[in-house]
Amino acid sequence: MAGEALERLKNGLLDLDMQGAVAAAASIAGGGDSVAVKGAVDAVADALHTIGRRFQEGEWFLAELVYAGEIAKEVMSLLSPLMDAGDSGAAGTVVVGTVAGDLHDLGKNIFINYAKSAGFSVIDLGIDVPCDRFIAAVKEHRPLALGMSCLLTSTEAEIGRVIEALKEANLRDTVKVIIGGAALTAGFARQAGADAFAPDAVTGTDIIRQWSAV
Amino acid sequence: MDFRERILTAMEHEEPDRVPVMGLIMDPATVDRILGRQPADLVGMLQNPDLAEGIVSTINTNEAWNSFYYGNTAGALESAMTLGFDANWTIYAQMKLHRDPQSALGYAYYDPFGRAWELSRAEDGSTAVNYSRALCPTEEQWEAWVQRNAALFDTMVDNTAAFHKRLVEEYGDRILPAGYAAPGIFENSWQPIGFVNFTRFIYEKPDFVRRVIRFHTDLYLRTMEAVMRSGVEVVLGGDDLGHKTGPMLRPELIEELLAESYRRVSELVHRSNRKLIWHSCGNVYKLLDMFIDWGFDGIITMEPTAGMELGKVRELVGHRLVLVGNLDVSHLLVKGTRQEIEDAVKQAIRDAGRGGGYILSACHSHPYVDGERLGWMVEAAHKHGKYPIDS
Repeated sequence: MAGEALERLKNGLLDLDMQGAVAAAASIAGGGDSVAVKGAVDAVADALHTIGRRFQEGEWFLAELVYAGEIAKEVMSLLSPLMDAGDSGAAGTVVVGTVAGDLHDLGKNIFINYAKSAGFSVIDLGIDVPCDRFIAAVKEHRPLALGMSCLLTSTEAEIGRVIEALKEANLRDTVKVIIGGAALTAGFARQAGADAFAPDAVTGTDIIRQWSAV
Repeated sequence: MDFRERILTAMEHEEPDRVPVMGLIMDPATVDRILGRQPADLVGMLQNPDLAEGIVSTINTNEAWNSFYYGNTAGALESAMTLGFDANWTIYAQMKLHRDPQSALGYAYYDPFGRAWELSRAEDGSTAVNYSRALCPTEEQWEAWVQRNAALFDTMVDNTAAFHKRLVEEYGDRILPAGYAAPGIFENSWQPIGFVNFTRFIYEKPDFVRRVIRFHTDLYLRTMEAVMRSGVEVVLGGDDLGHKTGPMLRPELIEELLAESYRRVSELVHRSNRKLIWHSCGNVYKLLDMFIDWGFDGIITMEPTAGMELGKVRELVGHRLVLVGNLDVSHLLVKGTRQEIEDAVKQAIRDAGRGGGYILSACHSHPYVDGERLGWMVEAAHKHGKYPIDS
């Protein structure tokens, strides 16, 4: 029975069937079996991994990636309260935000959905985040990675500013820095002293997954 | 050849005397730097409690807004002429300042479609405006919004016609104002609702999505007709259909939802014996054949930071589309050296210039695009763009 629900959950995500996925998750959650819940969370992560690969290979498109993320969010809202404390965020903590002066959050929010489903605990600082808030969050949460998003060329200098401030606070060696956004390129990331550039949310999740595995 | 003949010849895929150059100048910061003007510190004034309410009530009158906005665009055309451009895009936008507790400033522009735009102040005091959030995230809110703003849409269409007519009358003998009907149907459909909600509605409320698109198609056609009433000879339309790595929606879904709308736009423009150049940000390789099929005559932008390469686009579309673009505005036209800009211009002309059908331009505009560097771009185009193009 749980196996069948698990299959319906995974197929619901892969077929972009919100109702089917949510019904399957509700049935698993209603069973009160923590092993089945853990299995369901793993199935969500697997499905999103497949969807991410489809996106990277050009088989799926942004809207499909977003909607799959929305389905995962609804499903996880049913499953997360039933997860064992140790399972949540086991892959590590990531602090993310859109840099000061920039109000765009679509890419950041997709990344958050995918990173959470991949087992990361995500501290979302929101949009228009000043440098000192990034630094304070790194001090407080000691994350595996700091993710900064930036859509506008006019605000890209903020990224270098935050990285410099991390160095000044002796935090740069404690955290990996990943950046993404329309205005940015891999070349800019190298120049600014970031560890990685993610052209999309899925690649970003892949990169922090690799960092987490080390 | 004069500027007009140069542009119109290129639009016919014939070789003019030299590669024409179109400006995408619109940001007041860029205009002020080119013309040596002091920026109007709108954000500073709104931060002053003694001035703020007066500013809001003045700028929100139709007459004051049109005068203020026309002044910016006239400045953009003056800038483009100063630098030697053959054409410059001209875009009318209708905005009203609202008290907005969600914005850092406490005020935001709201447009008639249901978007909030954040105002921010650069170090030099100039004002930048960026789309910040959706004002109609639900079906009910969207329906109420468009009902409430019915009269404003009519005003906007009338203002659009008057704005472009005045620009053509005042500047048309010195530069070609390329009238741009903006924003586009897809952007106007999703941005007031938000991309995540709009995406959910595509799957969960498809009839509502179709209704929204139909509404904005009809309004867009009225706006495009208003732009053309001015006599502009080259018309720009556009919709941001791409993001950094590809189309925002599956191409088949774009075809299903939007193709008829775009075909109607092309037909309207062609019925008026004009050419239509289409703008889309992002990576749009997968949509190029659709652009041709929908009847577009040319495309503008081809963002390098989204992986668009002018030479590759020319290889893919041949001379079925006029190409307008695509010098980088993330580094090159912000901080690039004169030599880097000259090299990029030479490369762009080599990639797309042969046989006409090419207009050199920046790939986009933003407040940090540097006027001096735009000037270097034009100089390099004049130096290396004479036909016939050397291999």
